[in-house]
Amino acid sequence: MRLRVHHRTEYRYFSPVWESLNELHLKPLETRWQTCESAIIAVIPAVRLTSYEDLHQNTVHHFEIPEKHDRLIIDSRCTVRTICKVDFEALPYGFPHSGLRGLKGDEECFPYLQDSRYVEINPEHWRLALDIQDFSTDVFQTAYAIMEYIFRNFEYRYGSTSVTTHANEVIARRCGVCQDFAHAMVALCRCLGIPCRYVSGYFFDATRNHSLRGSEASHAWTEVFIPGHGWIGLDPTNNKVIDDTYIAVAVGRDYRDVTPVAGTYFGIGSSILEVKVTVERLDPPVATPQSSKATAPSAAAAKPATGETAALKA
Amino acid sequence: MLFQNYEKGDFFDEMFASGDGDVFPHYQPLYQRFQNLEREQFQERQQRIDDTFLKNGITFTVYGDKDGTERIFPFDLIPRVIPDNEWRVVQDGLTQRIIALNLFLHDIYHEQRILKDGVVPRDIVESAAHYRPEMLGVNVPRDIYIHVCGTDLIRDHDGKYLVLEDNGRCPSGVSYLLENREAMKRAFPRLYSAMNVRPVDAYPELLLKTVQHLSPRQSQTPVCVLLTPGVYNSAYFEHTFLARQMGIQIVEGRDLVAIDGYVYMRTIRGLVQVDVIYRRIDDDFIDPKVFRPDSVLGVPGLIDAYLRGNVALANAVGTGVADDKVTYCYVPEIIRYYLDQDPILDNVRTYLGWRPDDQKYMLENLENLVIKAANESGGYGMLMGPSSTAKERAEFAAKIKANPRNYIGQPVISLSRHPTVCGDTIEGRHVDLRPFVLYGEDVQIIPGGLTRVALRKGSLVVNSSQGGGSKDTWVLYQ
Repeated sequence: MRLRVHHRTEYRYFSPVWESLNELHLKPLETRWQTCESAIIAVIPAVRLTSYEDLHQNTVHHFEIPEKHDRLIIDSRCTVRTICKVDFEALPYGFPHSGLRGLKGDEECFPYLQDSRYVEINPEHWRLALDIQDFSTDVFQTAYAIMEYIFRNFEYRYGSTSVTTHANEVIARRCGVCQDFAHAMVALCRCLGIPCRYVSGYFFDATRNHSLRGSEASHAWTEVFIPGHGWIGLDPTNNKVIDDTYIAVAVGRDYRDVTPVAGTYFGIGSSILEVKVTVERLDPPVATPQSSKATAPSAAAAKPATGETAALKA
Repeated sequence: MLFQNYEKGDFFDEMFASGDGDVFPHYQPLYQRFQNLEREQFQERQQRIDDTFLKNGITFTVYGDKDGTERIFPFDLIPRVIPDNEWRVVQDGLTQRIIALNLFLHDIYHEQRILKDGVVPRDIVESAAHYRPEMLGVNVPRDIYIHVCGTDLIRDHDGKYLVLEDNGRCPSGVSYLLENREAMKRAFPRLYSAMNVRPVDAYPELLLKTVQHLSPRQSQTPVCVLLTPGVYNSAYFEHTFLARQMGIQIVEGRDLVAIDGYVYMRTIRGLVQVDVIYRRIDDDFIDPKVFRPDSVLGVPGLIDAYLRGNVALANAVGTGVADDKVTYCYVPEIIRYYLDQDPILDNVRTYLGWRPDDQKYMLENLENLVIKAANESGGYGMLMGPSSTAKERAEFAAKIKANPRNYIGQPVISLSRHPTVCGDTIEGRHVDLRPFVLYGEDVQIIPGGLTRVALRKGSLVVNSSQGGGSKDTWVLYQ
């Protein structure tokens, strides 16, 4: 599928801020299943943009604005060609739980089996995960069951959580948005020793009535590692195995590693954050754009002298 | 039949592959159709199109011409075909370029980081004829400076697309593109539909959306107008054409009036406030109170209203610094600076009179270079080295020495050639391509562009004012 994404993030500060330093996870990953034809990030006020590759092999763009400014616009456009990684005729069943022990010291899996900023492995989660696992001995079957459990039992509700809500709270309260659903799934999988990582990106809602959740902003889902098949994407928000309607932008241990727009600045007062994401399908000649707007006075950005400017999430 | 005696020559040919001279697959249906055409049928079609153009007044004006002011734009019946994969590269390259140029303009008129970091020399920007210090610190609507850009592309000996220049002030030519398409659809309806060509007729609507996007009054349908210098302008036909297609008023300076920081249009029902002006007048003439005081084409007080944010202009004031031919030389650096990526479309190697080494090279190699004035367009004020006389070269050498900032030199690129009707035969003629880029809420490029062709044998100058013609450009779906 050929998809075009336009992701615009605009901050308006009530009083000018300065010494703003920002890191962006906005460039889609290059993998065998995903080719980035073009990706352009434009920042206003115009600044020099640099980039580097982080520990999880995501592309991070970096810029600094020393001067006083009262707004910041980050405009990201990309065209991506995707193919489906999972063969839906032959789902990656067949790897038993008994094999997980061998992955513990594996370089690729190790970081995704530990505690991280928003995810904790603890006895309560482990007990819940065991209940969901039931008597399954197959890792993919268990991961699927966890996804389904979250989808069926957690309530999808805007505003019930913030960008810094911990997985513990999500699992206790059983509500949240895509970021929280993904965190919960990461926590439950890791409790059972299943390597699980957090993915941020976009997806194209191909349903006729746009019934899927989270397509109006950047989306988040998870990937579990199945030897012989690699990282397999599961979206607990929509109860879907990841197919070619998804574009992965960054992977990490949790939201902290892949925050689309993160940074610090000096200044007082709060700001207004406006995020707009449009995902358009290009390959049939006639494209059907889907678009919507989310405006929210961001409580998260109203912080003392310096802190994290987190992008709106779904 | 028609292609019987065609000679490809030692150039990149758009239709015939180098080496064995096979017809490129994307030209195959077209080749077959023309091959089966009798000469008389062909000439009859050509004649019909020429007549229609003349009757419909699809004309342009050559300045300084003795034989009458208006001419029809010569149209060549063999369309240029661009396959989908080539077009994607062009499209991505142009999108990248217009975004970078806009960031550059935003920076130049705000913090000037790129100058402070020494990536682009400050002298170059501040000495540009179209640099407008009046715009410093001004926030233009939607932070977009160049809303309409016509970028001239050429293809070199290997068929690689190169950017020859950007036109970020008032690029013209799009009306010919649209009219050419209409003519081709009438002349070859079946071939056109068989080849699966991408349509271009959305342009006026896209342009209207692009300018409406700038309106300071978003709560109501914006009042947009097209501001023309008047009937003596070389592109007047285009102004009337676009205004009609977009369904907006065409106005001259005297039809507008600025009162208390707002701009109004005089109508028979009284004054109507104007939100967006799609202007086809250069900065210099747009407001006699700010720029050239002797201008009678502009609207006194317009810039005041613009700076107050009560009326929007497309393109913004001061974009000329981005399409200055010396700035052009720095565009690859500009792209790397703001976007952290390499340019998708390369520039033509350019020597700057401003750099002592380059100047020396230019003066020593005048007969091998094309010398251009930095701030001119339309093929005026240039020297084609190989075909110049010693007297012309001496003249330009003196000019370069007197004002090095104002001259650049480029190697003579053997532009690609395309089969073109020349009297009774079909011969190869050099072509370029001017796609039109619109930057509103999104960057939009209508498929293809205006293919201009140098009708004189061996000529490399495609400008309509210098004896150029045009072709329809067909971008295919697959």
